[in-house]
Amino acid sequence: MFWFCLIGCFLFAADSLLFVSRNEIYVSTAIRERLGLLWETQTGTAASSNELDSLVKNWIEEEVLFQEALRLGLDQEDSIVRRRLIQKLNFIAESEPIAAPETAILKDFYSSNLQAYTLPRRYSLRQLYFEAKPGADNALASIDAGENAAGFGESSMLNSSYAYRSALDVNATFGPGFADLLQDFPTNSWQGPLKSSFGYHLLFITDIHEQEATPFRAISDQVLKDYRQYKQATARQSYLDELLLDYEILVEEK
Amino acid sequence: MIKILTTLSALLIMTSCSDGSNSGATENPQTTTEPRPTELTTPSPGNVSTTTPGFNSDRNAYFGDLHVHTMYSFDAFIFGTTSSPNDAYTFAKGGTLKHPAGFDMKLDVPLDFYGVSDHAFYLGVLREMANPESEISKHEVAEGMSTLGDSADRGSKFSRILQFIRSERANEINDSNIVKSAWQDIIQSANRHNDPGNFTTFVAYEYTTTANDGGNLHRNVIFRDDNVPDLPFSRLDSRNPEDLWQWMDRNRAAGIESLAIPHNSNGSNGNMFMLTDWSGNPLDSAYANQRMRNEPLIEITQVKGTSDTHPALSPNDEWADFEIMPFMVATQLASQPEGSYVREAYLNGIALQEKQGFNPYKFGVIGSSDTHNATYAGDEDDYWSKVGLRDSDGVKRGSVPLEEPRDGGELYADTYYNTWSASGLAGVWAEENTREAIFDAFRRKETFGTSGPRIKARFFAGYDLPQVSDPELTSKAYSGGVAMGSDLLADGNRAPSFIAWVARDPNSAPLQRVQIIKGWVENGEPQEAVYDVACSDGGVVDPVSNRCPDNGANVNLADCRISSNLGAAELKASWQDPDYDATQNAFYYLRAMENPSCRWSTWDAIRAGVEPRSDLAATIQERVWSSPIWITPVQ
Repeated sequence: MFWFCLIGCFLFAADSLLFVSRNEIYVSTAIRERLGLLWETQTGTAASSNELDSLVKNWIEEEVLFQEALRLGLDQEDSIVRRRLIQKLNFIAESEPIAAPETAILKDFYSSNLQAYTLPRRYSLRQLYFEAKPGADNALASIDAGENAAGFGESSMLNSSYAYRSALDVNATFGPGFADLLQDFPTNSWQGPLKSSFGYHLLFITDIHEQEATPFRAISDQVLKDYRQYKQATARQSYLDELLLDYEILVEEK
Repeated sequence: MIKILTTLSALLIMTSCSDGSNSGATENPQTTTEPRPTELTTPSPGNVSTTTPGFNSDRNAYFGDLHVHTMYSFDAFIFGTTSSPNDAYTFAKGGTLKHPAGFDMKLDVPLDFYGVSDHAFYLGVLREMANPESEISKHEVAEGMSTLGDSADRGSKFSRILQFIRSERANEINDSNIVKSAWQDIIQSANRHNDPGNFTTFVAYEYTTTANDGGNLHRNVIFRDDNVPDLPFSRLDSRNPEDLWQWMDRNRAAGIESLAIPHNSNGSNGNMFMLTDWSGNPLDSAYANQRMRNEPLIEITQVKGTSDTHPALSPNDEWADFEIMPFMVATQLASQPEGSYVREAYLNGIALQEKQGFNPYKFGVIGSSDTHNATYAGDEDDYWSKVGLRDSDGVKRGSVPLEEPRDGGELYADTYYNTWSASGLAGVWAEENTREAIFDAFRRKETFGTSGPRIKARFFAGYDLPQVSDPELTSKAYSGGVAMGSDLLADGNRAPSFIAWVARDPNSAPLQRVQIIKGWVENGEPQEAVYDVACSDGGVVDPVSNRCPDNGANVNLADCRISSNLGAAELKASWQDPDYDATQNAFYYLRAMENPSCRWSTWDAIRAGVEPRSDLAATIQERVWSSPIWITPVQ
């Protein structure tokens, strides 16, 4: 907000204090003070009277050139000037600090981004691996006949169990399309075999964890971080939206 | 006629292009509150702290990228990258990012860990130079930075900064306030996205130094957690990497733990693995200890080529000519192979060990991308290279002919981007996906690197290893031997056994063969040999040539289809060195190859409807390299 004030002050100064008219440049005491202050911020020491005179002299020279450029219309139709002015406003909008919001605002943000705080359907499962299908079929028949599943399966780099794996995780582990096979797969019994990029698998799904939103109170810290990130990323857009309310856009038709 | 369009403002709101940190990331914040079940896992005894659902005492393979540049890197910004560290992490977790050239970038499978590692010098400075409001924009070297134009304009401004960093005035624009604020954002973004059990982030940066001849000596510094210094140590503090290690040692003493990972040794012109120190003195045990304490790993492969070995260094390795980037980094000047490749460094290291009792080159390996687009680019068939608008399409990166031939009739752009690779993935074996577990894996070098696919490699050595058919192979191998990255003490004259075990990436080509690469010192001379140890498709290793038979897998260059029904999902072997000599210093590491598939340049050509460029490899065999196991001989 500080920057908006500065800009506002500058515009105000340009209007009233400078009192610019044809071939006249008015150096107000406010200008002198501002130049001195700027010098002090940059160098850490107050400007001496000689330094101040020199600063004012520079300012006058620049102002003459600036006014002359404006009089010649050099700011018009100049894409570099246009772009720099646009950038300037963009940076101002983006650098505005983001205040800590009310809980109600955070809750609203949470609700409207609920998807981001929702865990997808996840599976917890055990698996036995077989390079070829007959091995898997035989093992399943034996397990169905009452033998202990722990005695079956060929060694493989896959784990014998996986917890809380989403469809994306399942495909990353077993290969494309494997998660689709689990959609309506029975739970709490050994089933299969299912074919993957590796071979054949008997699966025992121990749990299906349905899609669920994490409650706000459990995740409010993360929501705050996300909210700040969002506000920062959208500051320029919000500023533009506000400005657009004051503009009527007219487009000439062909 | 003028018509008032009342809906136009709404339209503008929806379509206004974004810039700055708002670069079109699709947000998908992960939650951190998932219940932590333990019934399916077996936490190690004594570990009373809570573990995450994926905890596995036999360790899981996790894949990531530790070399990622964002808008805060001076060059990435000039190349058109406006993606922030926040965007980079969003991408790694599965979100979509816009490439500066306008297309979408998204991973088929999200990564497990990611570390944004921007250049420390001029961190955030170029972005600030483009802000006409800033003081730094008034500096002469900032001229034109707010109006970056075409690829050539960006190239010349990039060169201007490179010259400036080498000049005596280099410090003038390294505004510590800008650097600090970018560094804070990097730390905050990493913390925001770190999600124990699901996704790990590392606070990191790149120490971008060069030797006096311009040889590349870049390293990434990775911190164990968010206890990090106020400012990163950069080449402006010192160009001598030994000073970086001093700084890291001092930090460590103050409780700040980090490690550095050198990269692009291939482009170092022999400087990365010199046998003298920075001042030209012979290496000694203090140097070796300090280097290994701070640099336990090396990046063996990345977009700018692979640094395993070079055909000139390993003439008897038929697979040595793989993604060789022959130049010094960011030039078209030749880089000398000697002193620039990993295998030779291992050999020189054990030779020093034998002669003088210390080894400065006893590091493990990872891969990473070095993307300057914030986005890992390891897929041959979905490649966007790494320098923004400079190499964003086939014409710019020299895989598709120019519209008009250049002077002299050259059909392709004058560039070195055609020597770059869709490569560089880091693999680790860790109990769970957390900063602590993964960083500890880096420390013990239980790591591997791949040329892009998520191939998993296990490698053990010992005197009490199980049969490879054992259903408890992993846990018995851990208890009866040592894993990749370790030392094995020779046991009398008994030859140790090795277990080499590789599983394919289910979303990439199947495996063709597994090899063990041995290096040893014989009569003071370093020697190397490549042994195939497991073959796909029922092949048996020829005991004389030590090679698998050709499995006949090939690629249809009309559409990049690969042989179906050839290759293996997993390959594993128990192996003993037929020439084992218990008195020799030796190292062994695993390398495994997929069946051949199309290189990115071939995909580019096919999509453009042109012939693949004849002087580039049309196909490659994607591969994995493990960290070595070193044998300490009987005295």
